[in-house]
Amino acid sequence: MSAALLPEVVRTHGVRRREPGRVLAALVLGALALFAVLGPLLLADPTSQDLGRYLEAPSPSEPLGTDEYGRSVLARLAHATRLSLVLGVLCVVTALVLGTASGILAASRGGWVDAVLRAVSEAFVAIPALLVVLLFSALAADGSLLTLYLGLALVQWVEYFRVVRAKAALILGGPAVEAASLLQLGRVHVLRRHLWPALRPLLLTLASLGMVTSILAMSTLGFVKVGLQPPRAELGLMVTEAFPFYDVAPWLALAPVTVLFLLTAGFLGLRHREVSP
Amino acid sequence: MTTLELHDVVVAHGDRRLVDVPHLALEPGRPVTIVGESGSGKSLLAHALMGTLASSLVVDGKLALDETLLHLGDRSNRRALWGRRIAMLPQEPALALDPTMRVLSQVAEGALGASRTTARSHAGAALADVGLAASARSFPHTLSGGMAQRVAYAAATIGGARALIVDEPSKGLDSGSVDRLAGLLRDHVGDGGLLLTITHDLRLAAALGGEVAVMREATVVESGDAVDVLGSPQHDYTRRLVDADPSRWRQPWQRTGWYSPGEAIVRAIGISKAYGATSVFADVDLHIRPGERVALSGPSGVGKTTLGNALIGLTPVDAGRVVREPSLAGGRVQKLYQDPTLSFPALVPIEVGLRDVSRRHRASASRVDELMAAVRLSPSLLARRPGEVSGGELQRIAIVRALLAEPRLVFADEATSRLDLLTQAGTIDCLMTELGEAALLMVTHDRALATAVADTHVELE
Repeated sequence: MSAALLPEVVRTHGVRRREPGRVLAALVLGALALFAVLGPLLLADPTSQDLGRYLEAPSPSEPLGTDEYGRSVLARLAHATRLSLVLGVLCVVTALVLGTASGILAASRGGWVDAVLRAVSEAFVAIPALLVVLLFSALAADGSLLTLYLGLALVQWVEYFRVVRAKAALILGGPAVEAASLLQLGRVHVLRRHLWPALRPLLLTLASLGMVTSILAMSTLGFVKVGLQPPRAELGLMVTEAFPFYDVAPWLALAPVTVLFLLTAGFLGLRHREVSP
Repeated sequence: MTTLELHDVVVAHGDRRLVDVPHLALEPGRPVTIVGESGSGKSLLAHALMGTLASSLVVDGKLALDETLLHLGDRSNRRALWGRRIAMLPQEPALALDPTMRVLSQVAEGALGASRTTARSHAGAALADVGLAASARSFPHTLSGGMAQRVAYAAATIGGARALIVDEPSKGLDSGSVDRLAGLLRDHVGDGGLLLTITHDLRLAAALGGEVAVMREATVVESGDAVDVLGSPQHDYTRRLVDADPSRWRQPWQRTGWYSPGEAIVRAIGISKAYGATSVFADVDLHIRPGERVALSGPSGVGKTTLGNALIGLTPVDAGRVVREPSLAGGRVQKLYQDPTLSFPALVPIEVGLRDVSRRHRASASRVDELMAAVRLSPSLLARRPGEVSGGELQRIAIVRALLAEPRLVFADEATSRLDLLTQAGTIDCLMTELGEAALLMVTHDRALATAVADTHVELE
């Protein structure tokens, strides 16, 4: 009916509409990534202290000033940004691969495989995400990167699993896949032509949200001092460390907060608009 | 006595005229049926009358309902008339019903201005009139297509509307349900009601009688008494439309008295199937010989598709067994679906999927182009996604895809039931011409189609 009322279908396939918001988000993230890659190579050592330069205000030589140990805030910020991005990507990729693979497995096998995977995923949902990460951090007293990574990835794979399982079950049970099996087209065809095109926009959306979650979780833990420990440069930790000096050196807290904001806004702005057939 | 007249109706999209009908009159006792293929603008005319067209379309014209003169351009001025004076029975009634409401309350909603008790008793009477008193407490999803259509009829007419517009009522219904619906509509006319039916089903048009108007490319090309227009059509297009009825087909591939001495390629021995306690079919013996054309027909819900799927091995049977010749393995059995759009990967261009099929079955590079030419389609269609091609075109592409696998048996599951008659004739012609030596298993609710195509016609009850 709708086809009859809309006589001329606007065909948009092949032409991805460029939305200004997404372009801006990509630009911001690109700039931050460049800063994270080049900063640590070009700037001073973030751990080198110079107590003579205690809480220096921003100047041409130190664009973001120095902290209470005379360390370069810009250099620390570059390292912290790199850390956030790398950890975010690692967590998201791990969760995505794990969740997608198990989701497709559950949808295609069904039966007890599906039941077991669903039970496991529901167990993860039952526990608040940050608690799991906290638990992992507490287990390893020194708050190492590995525990943080494991905790975040394990919390996040459930989302991918549930979304992928629901979508894949619908597709795998449909006539298109039945036709493909009658045509003797193998799993690769089903994966590439049926599942992947339908899952891709969902996964991209989840992945950009996952980046936000990972980065914020990591800095939240840093902020309450159970994540990574000093002297490592980490965004949340930098905010906490700057607290005592908020009245004399406000730039100390402002810099990591700004980067956090830009990262979050960037990934949220990047979210893939869902495409329906 | 109610009368309804339409004057100078024009529906346009940009500078394209989709409907251009200067005059149409409905009188009591004389139903009007508009026939034509998909895209002829016949549904748009009905929606222009009701004021339910998409806002991207420009409407002009006048509606005279008794003494009231209404401008069609103002979409909202007919809202107050809905249900009381004019009512519409929409396409696909199963989708128009509220899935969360029981049938009786749903019909009672249409009794405007009545108290709850009166409305419910009216609704009960209306349901009894359409023979559905027993289903008053059912939810819509438990109804068959024909039953849903009758519930929608009860709901549409309970408000007392004398002018009834019916849009494609026979879509997806088996012939028994269509006859029943035609009876209801004739009763409405018999009681002095006005009836405008939009359909591509000429058999329904003949059953309703009265006046028939043939629409093509936005205009009425021929109109007159149903018997005259359908019996001795004057316009060339009407003639083609009438000849598209399967019972009138004269195609070179049609044959009578075909016999094959060959061993059956599919043999079902005493097969049964049940879903829970409901038996779908029981103790069926059936075989398909090489090159044989077998049709399974019967009313909806009789288990035709399930039986077909069981024969080709898509559905396991509960009892008995199905023996398939080993030569059918490896993709030599193909299926055409009722809705071809759902049978292609939705998000990739059609050619991408076809390339995988060609590669798997080692079809030569030019084979797709040859087959596309054989089904009279432009190869440029293949660059589109399945949803961007019309149903008839896509079904022909589905035939191309099936033939790439060089099947020995093709299972056509209601493959043309959603297409209009002309498109159906073209699609079946393509299928039968290109089928060659392959056997055909056709499931259809259309007995005439089964008779026109099949060597062996199995009617299920």
